[in-house]
Amino acid sequence: MKQIAVIGLGTFGMAVAKTLAEKGVQVLVIDKNEQRIQEVSSFVTQAVVADATDEQTMRKLGISDFGTVVVASGGNREASILTTLILKELGVKYIIVKGLDDIHARVLQKIGADRIVFPEFDMGIKVAETFVSPNIVEAIELSPEYTMAEVIVPKVFIDQNIRDLNVRERYKLQIIGIKRKEPYIKEDGDTDFKEVLVIAPSPNEILQDGDTLVVIGKYNDIDNLKNL
Amino acid sequence: MKKEVSDNVSKDEVDLIEMGKFYFLNGKYEEAISEFEKALKINPKNEDIYFNMGIVKEANNDRGAARKMYEKTLILQPDHKSAKEHLDKLVGIRKGRK
Repeated sequence: MKQIAVIGLGTFGMAVAKTLAEKGVQVLVIDKNEQRIQEVSSFVTQAVVADATDEQTMRKLGISDFGTVVVASGGNREASILTTLILKELGVKYIIVKGLDDIHARVLQKIGADRIVFPEFDMGIKVAETFVSPNIVEAIELSPEYTMAEVIVPKVFIDQNIRDLNVRERYKLQIIGIKRKEPYIKEDGDTDFKEVLVIAPSPNEILQDGDTLVVIGKYNDIDNLKNL
Repeated sequence: MKKEVSDNVSKDEVDLIEMGKFYFLNGKYEEAISEFEKALKINPKNEDIYFNMGIVKEANNDRGAARKMYEKTLILQPDHKSAKEHLDKLVGIRKGRK
């Protein structure tokens, strides 16, 4: 069972905690505000009133046992930075932090945040979906039931064509595009790659290592694909 | 503009890096990494090898490993523009955000 901790229950933190809980993730939420904690306590696994900038408290909560921690603290950049630093020092493997602006994001990057999200900028992108699995790069909700997601090509799909994989029948998903990396050498001799989008790929298209599939389907079916 | 090969980079090292690039261009990511790792054994302080490994890892969707490689590149060469750009992109920093 996936365990994710969410620190800070503003609008974004609340939405993330709810979405994760709905997906069956074990969620620990931490906030200083008792009222907010009470609001979420009915649907998350554990809700704790605590100060996330206090290292001893975080250690006692066993925060390092959580593979992913989302720092969703609102306007207080110092608290957000300090919390991130503490999480890093306590050995949390994957830290996602809500960014406030460019400078804040750069500081977070320097101290080791693994991913910075800008909820207001990434509007429409169902970011919580992408927290559950690093294999999902981005997901956009099309309806309560259907989503469009970018999924890293499962290893078992590599070197096979779409027809043989029978993704539509077997996995109930439609591949509408492939994001493919094209390696090249720049003028200065450095390697680089550009990303090309193969739209509506033919059934004969062979999937390659490094591809990202753009798929449409139900949430559960996309979950099945990412678990392959 | 083609980079000059500095005097402290051996011929073997250059050959291995070129082989790594050749494999990368042909989509053979594992082979490319293997060549770059051999080059690193000769010269563990060549930032370009780490950068190239970062590119291969990123192209192969191994974002965590790519990030580590770009960070190592920047420790050795803090002004490495391409490594910085790729690292920013990986973490989620977009250009032009205020």
